[in-house]
Amino acid sequence: MSALLDVASLDAGYAGLGIVSDVSLEVGAGELVAVLGPNGAGKSTLLRAISGIEATRTGGSVRFEGRDIGGMRADRIAKLGLVHVPEGRQLFTELTVDDNIRLGAFGRPRAFVERALGEAYERFPQLEARRTSTAFALSGGEQQMLAIARALASEPKLLMLDEPSTGLAPRIVAAIFETIADLRKRGTSVLLVEQNAYLTLRVADRAYVLEHGRIVLSGPATELANDARVRAIYLGGSSEE
Amino acid sequence: MLQLVVAGLTVGSGYALVALGIHIILRATRVINFAQGEFVVLGGLLAYSVTNVLHANVWLGLVVATAGGFAIGLVYERFVLRPAARGGELAVTIVSIGCVYVLLYGHSLVWGSLPLPLPYFSGGEADVVWRAGGVQIAAQQLWVLGFLGLALGALAFFFEGTTYGKAIRASANSPVGAALVGIDVDRARSVSVAIAIALAAFGGVIVGPITLVGGAAGVGIAIKGFVGAVIGGLDSPVGCAVGGLLVGVVEKLLEGRLGYGASDPIVYGLLIVALLVRPQGLFGSRRAIRD
Ligand SMILES: Nc1ncnc2c1ncn2[C@@H]1O[C@H](COP(=O)(O)OP(=O)(O)OP(=O)(O)O)[C@@H](O)[C@H]1O
Ligand SMILES: [Mg+2]
Repeated sequence: MSALLDVASLDAGYAGLGIVSDVSLEVGAGELVAVLGPNGAGKSTLLRAISGIEATRTGGSVRFEGRDIGGMRADRIAKLGLVHVPEGRQLFTELTVDDNIRLGAFGRPRAFVERALGEAYERFPQLEARRTSTAFALSGGEQQMLAIARALASEPKLLMLDEPSTGLAPRIVAAIFETIADLRKRGTSVLLVEQNAYLTLRVADRAYVLEHGRIVLSGPATELANDARVRAIYLGGSSEE
Repeated sequence: MLQLVVAGLTVGSGYALVALGIHIILRATRVINFAQGEFVVLGGLLAYSVTNVLHANVWLGLVVATAGGFAIGLVYERFVLRPAARGGELAVTIVSIGCVYVLLYGHSLVWGSLPLPLPYFSGGEADVVWRAGGVQIAAQQLWVLGFLGLALGALAFFFEGTTYGKAIRASANSPVGAALVGIDVDRARSVSVAIAIALAAFGGVIVGPITLVGGAAGVGIAIKGFVGAVIGGLDSPVGCAVGGLLVGVVEKLLEGRLGYGASDPIVYGLLIVALLVRPQGLFGSRRAIRD
């Protein structure tokens, strides 16, 4: 049985500008895998190359459930159950919270959509109170919740989250990580890109470290959390403990 | 006076449909389609062929022109706007202006360059006219207003009440976000343009019996529709409809006072005044100008 997501020797970038090189990475069914790395390392580019938005793949392969998805259109990839919550969220700011979530399940039968809406509000009661406001009017934390709720509405097999905790208050960050841990428990596979290495390594099964577009380190999260280099650079003396 | 207002609302309905088309295409592609008026003319001419060449009734003409407009819109988006978009937004705008002349010439090759008649919807070559308190109302004027209302209702239902309508709005709002939830953004864009062209063609048929169809009317219709959209607010569908009607009324009132031909410079002057006084339009939001 091969991995759910299998990225092999991927090269990717923007219009002739190579950013990510020779990246190999796997996410197994039910696994929570993290990608850590400094600003500008190419983490977002990696996710974009996988989901088919903005970045282009110039070499290597991307397989999802054994199927080659390199070069497939983004909307087709999403329909296969690989859903990306990008940096900047890309919400439909002019539409209501309700409609954002409903469109997350675009193309599904009405009953499926309504059930997804109910589940989203069960998970994020705070959003239900704002269901008729436009996404534009939400706070940063609520927008991040909405972005995750919209992505989950289609019941993805693999969710890719790009820095979901950035710019949010500690209390909201904790809530987002709780959601991520809960997804893991329910069997949704997650590929998580984060700056917050401490919390990330606590919820993840495995992690990769990306620097200058290359994987420099990988292994089980617990091992990485004890790695001297990771401790020095990403856990910054680990004052949070 | 009231007489002129009624006449103004009738031609204004055509401008309102053009303004709405400009709004829809602007949202979907971020460009102003100046060829919108030529598609009004084309709709009228298609209906002319159905009624006067094939001798079928005007309702079939209305259906053929609207459906034909939709199909032509798909082709126009796929083979004109989309390739031009690689050259940037300015390139698309210029290409759309080029299309005005291509269509103008194309129409005259097929249909000649003289305006042609369309039958009145109530039947025959002379329209039914009612008089009420000194005002004359022709049946066709009521048809026009009724069909405008119908078109506005259908649009509102589609964009506010259906999943695909919302998906089109979502694609305009955030193309990347739309692709990530599984919406085919290219197709949403095609359908938007097709709807806009269908609206223009539809407008050409309903107003056609009053204004005649064909000739060089398209440029004026496009510009007045654009003026209506700017006055009402390019980012507001309600504003576009109201703005289009307003331009029609102002045009007819001025024509009534100053004679035929005097109204155009003043209507275009109105555009400048509107841009100076309220650039976002009557119903537009300030945010739209910044984008
Ligand atoms: N759309 C783009 N076009 C061209 N270059 C880009 C684009 N987006 C990012 N880059 C460049 O690619 C490199 C990697 O950026 P990327 O956003 O992938 O890094 P990141 O690891 O996600 O960083 P951060 O932690 O700040 O989000 C940077 O040098 C950036 O300038
Ligand atoms: Mg990033």
